[in-house]
Amino acid sequence: MAPKPANKLPTLRDLLARAHLRLILFTVVLASASLMLSGVLVIRAYAQRNLELMARTVAYTVEPAVVFQDRQAIMDGMTSVGAARGIDRLEVCDPAGKTLARWDRPHADLRGRVVSTANALIWPEPARADVTQGNTAIARVKVYGNSGGILRYLLAATVIALTCMGLTVLATRILARRLQNEVIAPLDHVAEVAHAVRQERAFEKRVPASGIAEIDRFGQDFNALLAELQGCQAGFTSENAELQRRAPHDGLTGLGNRALFDQKLAEAVAESQRSSTAFALLYLDVDRFKQVNDLFGHSSGDAALIAVGERLRGAIRHIDAVFRLGGDEFSVVLAPLFNRAHVDGMVERIRAAMQEPFRLPNGQLATASLSVGVAVFPEDGTDAEQLLSRADAAMYRDKQNRHQAGPEGTQDDA
Amino acid sequence: MPGYLRLATALAVFSSAPLQAAADMPLGSTPAGDPYGGAAARTVKAIMEYARWNERRDPLVLCVAGSARHAAQLGGWRMADGRQVQRRNVAASVSALGGCDVLYLGQLAIPAQRQLTAAVRGRGVLTIAEADPGNSSEAMFALAYQPNALSFRLNIDAVSRSGLRIDPRVLRVAKGGS
Repeated sequence: MAPKPANKLPTLRDLLARAHLRLILFTVVLASASLMLSGVLVIRAYAQRNLELMARTVAYTVEPAVVFQDRQAIMDGMTSVGAARGIDRLEVCDPAGKTLARWDRPHADLRGRVVSTANALIWPEPARADVTQGNTAIARVKVYGNSGGILRYLLAATVIALTCMGLTVLATRILARRLQNEVIAPLDHVAEVAHAVRQERAFEKRVPASGIAEIDRFGQDFNALLAELQGCQAGFTSENAELQRRAPHDGLTGLGNRALFDQKLAEAVAESQRSSTAFALLYLDVDRFKQVNDLFGHSSGDAALIAVGERLRGAIRHIDAVFRLGGDEFSVVLAPLFNRAHVDGMVERIRAAMQEPFRLPNGQLATASLSVGVAVFPEDGTDAEQLLSRADAAMYRDKQNRHQAGPEGTQDDA
Repeated sequence: MPGYLRLATALAVFSSAPLQAAADMPLGSTPAGDPYGGAAARTVKAIMEYARWNERRDPLVLCVAGSARHAAQLGGWRMADGRQVQRRNVAASVSALGGCDVLYLGQLAIPAQRQLTAAVRGRGVLTIAEADPGNSSEAMFALAYQPNALSFRLNIDAVSRSGLRIDPRVLRVAKGGS
């Protein structure tokens, strides 16, 4: 998963879910409200007709009772009709408006009061019918409606609407999950790949196909971009590795350079001081290298340096280290496991290795000889500078001794 | 007119169920020292309103047979549909009943009453008995006297054989029947 942004931006899933929820809630509310309203209007219209019919029925039923002025019979006639639902009050008045008989639906509790209030709202006027004898009105019937039915309808409609809303919320969740699977998951894949590329340099990752045209196009372009990046990255990596390898090394011989030598020598001094052991530093110089250069050219000098480097590397143990300090000067740091004779043995081995001829660019074979100076820690010095100058001095002494003994040169070996 | 059933069929429906007790016609003012005179007049007129003859009769002839005690205010009415009501005092004999649409039986002995009601049976004459406490006159309606009110009883058998149609709603108002 991609890390959450600090300012908590809404996710696409949230946006879609919210949009769905609003849309569906709006639809449900609109549909239920219009259904409720039209339902109430239709029911009220039917109920109104029912009340008028009731009024006429009561008028017809009680007519003889009114003619015979029999109030009990009026009451009985009204009750037989008024027991029907949807009627709140029945009244029979004489033409002067005096009430002859009256029937009320009994209600006293809270629900009754709600119903009464609703009655007054929905039926402000009673349905009326005249009791006639011939053409004369001898009484008038008033029927007041009861809103109980409409209220029950409203209650049921509200419950249904709320249920629908509950289902809506559920449906929205499911829709959002689906959308996430179908739309957002592919986008998340892209994001994951981008994240992996950035964090882990996993340039080999690719966005899988999603099955959605727009996202697939995006994914393909993204993959192509990744392929290019991977190529670039591979180039950079190998170049970097080469640069890193080269930096502390001498370009010509591949040996450690002066910087690496200084570092290793300091490490050897520190290590030997800590463990109270000894180690030796050899300082080596190619004899008459300047003449070789002058006589046979720089390419021959380079060949000689490469050969010397190879033979030095071959002569020492793997725990020792050889460096080219610059020009024709080399140095060897001998690891601490020796006595003086051991050091002399190493020097002999180096000299012996130099006996092997090497081929110059012009095809001639040649050998090189080295002047060697030795300095031993801690007898000859306890820091790098001291050791180096001692070894340097010893090397010069060796060179002068060897010059006096008789110069050795490049052997022609045609 | 809707609601008017042939009482032959109404008989089967209503005779099995006891007729509802009806409260009473209030007596109202009584000018001639007869406490029931006004109530009797209103009751007779109301009964006539709910009777239907097979052919329209105008004016309606209301015959008062024999000497009646509560008949002083009968007659001289105008019905709700505009018909006039003519009162005619007749002798309590079968031969005197020609042209009567309504027969009001006065203070007569029960056999005399039965004779008269038998004579008009099936001829479309509305019969009302003033003095028939035992329901034995075989008149269609009999006035029933209570201390402060006047009501009536209905003889369904007599009604069904009368040749008249009576609005069944009147059954609800009648006090009881035979």
